[in-house]
Amino acid sequence: MNEISLQMREIARDLLSKNEVNLVLGWEKGSHWYKSAPLFINKVEDVDRLVFDEFCHNNLSKYLVDLAHHEAKVAIFVKGCDSRGINRLIQDNVIKREQVYVIGIPCRGLKDPDDAVGKKCGEPVKDAVKCQECRYPNPVVHDIMVGEQVNATARGQETAALIEKLEKMTQDERYNYWSRQFECCIRCYACRNVCPACSCRECIFDRAVPDWLGKANNLAENQFMHLTRAMHVAGRCIECGECERACPMNLPLMALNKKIIKDIEELFGENDAGIDPEKKPPLGHFELNDPEKFM
Amino acid sequence: MKTIAKSRLNELLKALDKEYNILVPFKEESVSKFVPWQEGVDPYFEENTLLPPKDILFPQTEKMYGFKVKDKSVEIEELTQEKGQQIIFGLRSCDAYSIDCLDKVFLTKGYEDGFYRQKRENTLLWALACTKPQDSCFCESIGIDPREAVCADVQIYDLGEEWGFTARSAAGEELLQKLEGLFTDKDAEPLPVQGFSITVDMEGVPEKLANMFDHPLWEEVSRKCLGCAACTYLCPTCHCFDIAGSVKGGQGYKFRCWDSCMFSEYTRMAGGHNPRPSKKERVRNRFLHKLYYFVERYGQLLCTGCGRCLAKCPVNMDITAIIRKIKEAQQQ
Repeated sequence: MNEISLQMREIARDLLSKNEVNLVLGWEKGSHWYKSAPLFINKVEDVDRLVFDEFCHNNLSKYLVDLAHHEAKVAIFVKGCDSRGINRLIQDNVIKREQVYVIGIPCRGLKDPDDAVGKKCGEPVKDAVKCQECRYPNPVVHDIMVGEQVNATARGQETAALIEKLEKMTQDERYNYWSRQFECCIRCYACRNVCPACSCRECIFDRAVPDWLGKANNLAENQFMHLTRAMHVAGRCIECGECERACPMNLPLMALNKKIIKDIEELFGENDAGIDPEKKPPLGHFELNDPEKFM
Repeated sequence: MKTIAKSRLNELLKALDKEYNILVPFKEESVSKFVPWQEGVDPYFEENTLLPPKDILFPQTEKMYGFKVKDKSVEIEELTQEKGQQIIFGLRSCDAYSIDCLDKVFLTKGYEDGFYRQKRENTLLWALACTKPQDSCFCESIGIDPREAVCADVQIYDLGEEWGFTARSAAGEELLQKLEGLFTDKDAEPLPVQGFSITVDMEGVPEKLANMFDHPLWEEVSRKCLGCAACTYLCPTCHCFDIAGSVKGGQGYKFRCWDSCMFSEYTRMAGGHNPRPSKKERVRNRFLHKLYYFVERYGQLLCTGCGRCLAKCPVNMDITAIIRKIKEAQQQ
């Protein structure tokens, strides 16, 4: 077992046995060596299930949306990207900082579980696309840190390259590209449900009256759903890439999100969501000198 | 057994294509699914498809009927399109078993679903014997034979350099006879099935579940569920649907579309009450339906062991792990 996993267990044991928290959110090994899954611990006996490895993809901050009214403090393990989710939820008044005990884990980047299918443990596995362009491997908010700080190093730029390709397209070509993607969507909502920026009490897509989004699976409805979601998380997306990883149809959703982040930066200056809880999100307030290109 | 060299598969598909619409497994980028065959479509037999063949017989969105309002009367327009005969070519034993489940749901117990029946009656199944289980496969544990599919009209075997064909129904027999000229008759032994990496003991599980509705296990196993429908929409047997309509001016149509018991609004009633208010009730329902309710009503499991749900669930909800927990659970 790796050193970080052992330290995680000791921290969880300590917090639970001293009653500082009554719930710990971490990861455990799942169905295969290349699958790690979220773990909820409320008993000291279970702490030895905790692990941290290159397949701990889940951004556990999402679960805090459900735990906003939990009766006691919750301990949560976060990677760099996940930690930005904590700040975002605090900023949106979903949770309060004092409700969570944040245990940060500097992250060297994860592996792609789909690439590991059919391989034996130990064989080389591709880096996860979502981690290629990571700029915040170290947690930006934490009560305690496990492991050594790491330097942000780009391991590839598949998403940036795709955005560049899309930017060079004509409007029609771009429309056709996204239409082909959205046509494949099965509307399982894994992207929304895994996203820590999706914290609405009732999602617009679930409203029956009025039915803003029809239930039929067709290009028009699917397009409406994805563009609405992209615009809704705009300025709040923390770039954890979970939507794209969770999508069973492998839609390049982060190209959409990162393009919007790029545009926001051009319009309103640098605005990494979930870094500074005091800084207002770019689309959550206005300034008199905001650009008004569309007017 | 009738055999044909793998390199000559196109000739067979071409011959079938004259009378049938053929659907073959096909992979494009990372997504594999059944698509209509035509010259140039290279079928993908390496592994089972990501999307099951379910939507061929039970489309995700299906128009039911149209209507027009004229003065004070309504005109109903039938929309069922008469499609020709089709062949699902190369589906695996797990997916053939799922069609057996769908047949039971849509065609038995006193009500026949016309939309399903129309398509099913015109569909032949050419099942492909599996030789290499994938990482998430566990069909054998469910009692499914990866080499012999239920409901198959023709069973296809991988013989290494050739494909072998054996008729499993009168319609299949007739069709193979008709194509006699393409085949060589041969005594051949199909490739054996390699081992499964996942096994699970189903013995006594449905019976035990009969008394586990209020068991604390559901609270525990449902905690990580995100409530998305990746599992139900990739599942070859999940068959819940909703009916809605589209109205524009004086005309419109009714359609049905897949729905998922994992969604919170699935059981939401008109007054706002929800009898399955949390993940616990929803997850419990999904597993009780698959492993107990369906067994009680139709005498078989509503799980095929295809492993799609555990492979694609964003939080790795693992039905086999849940079955193991059910087996270990103390009776309350």
